[in-house]
Amino acid sequence: MQINLRHKGSVTILDIEGNLVGPNTIALKNIIDDHIRSANGEPVYMILNMERVQMMDSSGLGVIVAAYASIQRNKGRVVLLNIGGNIRSLIIMAKLVTIFDRYDTEAEAIASFL
Amino acid sequence: MDEKQQLRISLTLSSSMQLIYLLDTVISDILERMEFDEEAQVNVNLAVIEVGTNAIKHGNKEDITKTATFEFIIDDEKLTIVVTDEGEGFDREEVADPLDPENLLKSSGRGLLIMEDCMDEVVYSKNRTGTIVRMVKKRNHPMP
Repeated sequence: MQINLRHKGSVTILDIEGNLVGPNTIALKNIIDDHIRSANGEPVYMILNMERVQMMDSSGLGVIVAAYASIQRNKGRVVLLNIGGNIRSLIIMAKLVTIFDRYDTEAEAIASFL
Repeated sequence: MDEKQQLRISLTLSSSMQLIYLLDTVISDILERMEFDEEAQVNVNLAVIEVGTNAIKHGNKEDITKTATFEFIIDDEKLTIVVTDEGEGFDREEVADPLDPENLLKSSGRGLLIMEDCMDEVVYSKNRTGTIVRMVKKRNHPMP
């Protein structure tokens, strides 16, 4: 799995490529945790770009839910970008649709932080 | 395939999460050969990853001296997957409901829910040596 981290203003964008399953999820968890830690309690504004994620299991779901909880604690926000049908179904089934804001374009996702 | 004929594929893994990818390789090939549609393939693949994670991580506590066995039974009408670990087992009724509002933000506890949602049938049992999970996915049309 590959994760590219980039910034647009105060927004951090993680472009994730590969399946978010099993041990693969640890890399994403570490990157998110490091980023939250380096913010030193300041709000984090993050976009998880999942355009190239075909499959996510309960471990992957756990990582993004934990990110949501940690980031929200410091008054920040994390949103999902370009989620495919499989992941959308998983999020609906897990009743997380009301938790995660989802966007189809990067511009819309960034604008949601303004 | 003859109506009563079954093909059986068995895979025994040491309890290392690094071996989960082997499950993905095997089940992906089986699903393709059985001509499940794309949605069913994703669902079964996900259920197998979840059941494998449960067996290796939660059942066998990633103790590599313990094994988890995965048996894939293919017949004309369905795919049956039987997974056996060496763990202490669990009572399904005692597992917290991840859909309960107070559990929604917990980072774990959704594996069984996903398995049950993705498969047509999931049955949990226990024998002297560990936990047994039996999952079934029915085919929409008979094997060619």
